[in-house]
Amino acid sequence: MSTWELETRQVSKQFPDGTCALQGIDWGVRRGETMALIGESGSGKTTLLRLLNRLVEPSSGTIFIQNNLATSQAPMTLRRRLGYVPQNGDLFPHWTIRRNVCLVPQLLGWSTDQQQDRFNTLLTLVNLDPAQVADRYPIELSGGQRQRVAVARALAADPAIVLLDEPFSALDSLTRHELQEQFLSLKTQLQKTMVLVTHDISEAFRLGDRITVLKDGRIHQIGTSQELIDTPATPYVASLIQQTPARQH
Amino acid sequence: MAPGPFYINMRIASRIVGAVFFFICLLPLPASPNSTIIVGSKNFLENRLLAEMFAQLIEAQTPLHVERRLGLAGTHVCFEALKTGGIDLYPEYTGTGLVTILGEQPMRDPTATLNRVRTEFRKRWNLWWLAPLGFDNSYALALRRDRAEALGLRSISDLVKVASTLKAAFGYEFIQRADGLPGLKELYGLQFREVVGMQQSLKYQATDKGNVDVLDVYTTDGRLAVYDFVVLEDDLQFFPPYDATALVRGATLERHPELGTVLSLLTNALSPARMRELNLRIQEQGEAIPEVAYDALRDLHLVKEDHQAATATAKTSESFLSYMWERRATLMVRTGEHLGLAGVGLLLGIALAIPLALVLERWRKGAETTIRIIGMSQTIPSIALLAFMIPLFGVGVLPAIMALWIYSLYPILRNTYSGLRDAAPSVVETGRALGMTEWQILRSIRLPLAAPTIMAGIRTSAIWTIGTATLAAFIGAGGLGEPIVAGLQLADVQLILSGALPATMLALAVDGLLGWIERLVQPRGLESSQ
Repeated sequence: MSTWELETRQVSKQFPDGTCALQGIDWGVRRGETMALIGESGSGKTTLLRLLNRLVEPSSGTIFIQNNLATSQAPMTLRRRLGYVPQNGDLFPHWTIRRNVCLVPQLLGWSTDQQQDRFNTLLTLVNLDPAQVADRYPIELSGGQRQRVAVARALAADPAIVLLDEPFSALDSLTRHELQEQFLSLKTQLQKTMVLVTHDISEAFRLGDRITVLKDGRIHQIGTSQELIDTPATPYVASLIQQTPARQH
Repeated sequence: MAPGPFYINMRIASRIVGAVFFFICLLPLPASPNSTIIVGSKNFLENRLLAEMFAQLIEAQTPLHVERRLGLAGTHVCFEALKTGGIDLYPEYTGTGLVTILGEQPMRDPTATLNRVRTEFRKRWNLWWLAPLGFDNSYALALRRDRAEALGLRSISDLVKVASTLKAAFGYEFIQRADGLPGLKELYGLQFREVVGMQQSLKYQATDKGNVDVLDVYTTDGRLAVYDFVVLEDDLQFFPPYDATALVRGATLERHPELGTVLSLLTNALSPARMRELNLRIQEQGEAIPEVAYDALRDLHLVKEDHQAATATAKTSESFLSYMWERRATLMVRTGEHLGLAGVGLLLGIALAIPLALVLERWRKGAETTIRIIGMSQTIPSIALLAFMIPLFGVGVLPAIMALWIYSLYPILRNTYSGLRDAAPSVVETGRALGMTEWQILRSIRLPLAAPTIMAGIRTSAIWTIGTATLAAFIGAGGLGEPIVAGLQLADVQLILSGALPATMLALAVDGLLGWIERLVQPRGLESSQ
């Protein structure tokens, strides 16, 4: 038995057009831990995230989700067990907030009452008034509110693992800061295993328990923010650290 | 969970579509049982008049039911329709049969011409030329008398000398036919300064304005006398004889032998002078073709006298509105036919294009090529596409619907395909990441998000289809094109408008209705109103 909640062994991904997104990735996330994935665009960080919920299949290597081969269950079943927060929130624009949030419970066949209860709990959790927004459409909400709804949607069926793809990057800095604060309090409250993709080193330091630095499809370093600062494994990691202001917490 | 507004809207929309379809199914599609004789005609007055006379004669003298497909677009369409059984008979001219249809050299002798076409048509297609009606409606070249006298013209040979300074307006068929302009050029060496194609009925008026000198005319045209035209002598005897008669399917004669006997009652019954007189009543006095046909048959004692007194429908200075009001019954029927043609064509287009777009969306490799091939159908001129349908489906409603169907495909296919392909890709990806199946994504994300684009395609298609359906009259499918085509031949602006105006209003109304449906299927969250 491995100690990893999520694990990849010698995973490589080559796209049909020949570009090599990932090369020989050995990587793991512990239960209850928030792992930040940081790198430039093209570093392979989003590909690694998408391998976990099988939106992308590896060219070689194996992936384990909670100690089971990712391929041991159908992609749909797997995805419904993994929370997912896309960039920009990406709510379904033609659905009400209620319908957006209750998508996965509905796919899993929950009763209407169960869905409604869950909706109320979740919206309160992300600091929104359930009664006020339930029947509104995404366009009627602010960017920050929409992103909270996206987080609520990811948590809807109470998944053990949540994947977040640059969830706060499209927000203005004030709203981003506010949501990051709430994310931290949610994190301690819920104790979920989370993978957070970001290109912002300060966000990675702030939200991640550990950080994976990716460049050109290879892992440069995995470690806590302290380890990255104290012993950067490569010049690239060192250069990343220099860009960031001194740690805040 | 409560269904989203999209489903409610789809339910309303599908009810509307259902209601429209139901309405269209109620429209009678012409059937042709065995005891029905379908009489066709070309799209010029004399031919229509003769066809109407055939029709009334058959109705008066036999118990057969007669259906009229008058005003078909030219010799080719009529002949194809006859060959394929779309019509049973139509008035044709021996010279046209010899030169245009058989593609042979013209002959001078009328009897030899008749015998030649009789033999060949029976042998090749089992089509029968009955006995000539008594007049030869030849082509001729003509000028206004003052112009001809000023130039000192009597014959075509005289014309050759001054032709290079003259402008000619010829019928479209005349410009193409071997027994028309090409042959004239070859035999006489005729070269005009300029040749323009023009509807027969408009040409006389064009000479009035003085911007056209020479016309091709039919020798039985009543307007020759009214407009005081000089017919140039064909001194080299170029134009072959054009004896008019009924051209009938052999199979029809076999089924109804009495038809031959009845139509023979018109043998030699119409002299050239009599024909000019009858033509003139329609051309200049604005009398209705059925009335004139009836009078002609009555004078020959071939129909009963108990016919309702011919209400003179002479052109008066009545207002356009009262003109439309008088014709409201006919116009309603024409509008119904028009809606039927366009509606069925459009519904078939939707039924094929949307599923096809769904397939292409899954099979993108072939998508662009397929869409482009279908797009090419749009470049075929509508009237040509209609004509292509005749060898396959005869004349009437069926080929018209087929052509409209082909026309309606492209905008719907293009819009549905790109609407589905481009529908918020990141949102689609999110649906996938949250565990929706491809089918669920298609049904509840892509289709609703693409719905406004798809509806816009349907709307474009609807307008095109309604517009193109006016041309269906050329292949005998009825609709609002009927008064337009007839009006063009009669140079009757009111008649043209009585078809064109309702067609325009129909297009606007349908556009409005579809615009309303478009807003209905627009998913609520996409509304920009706040």
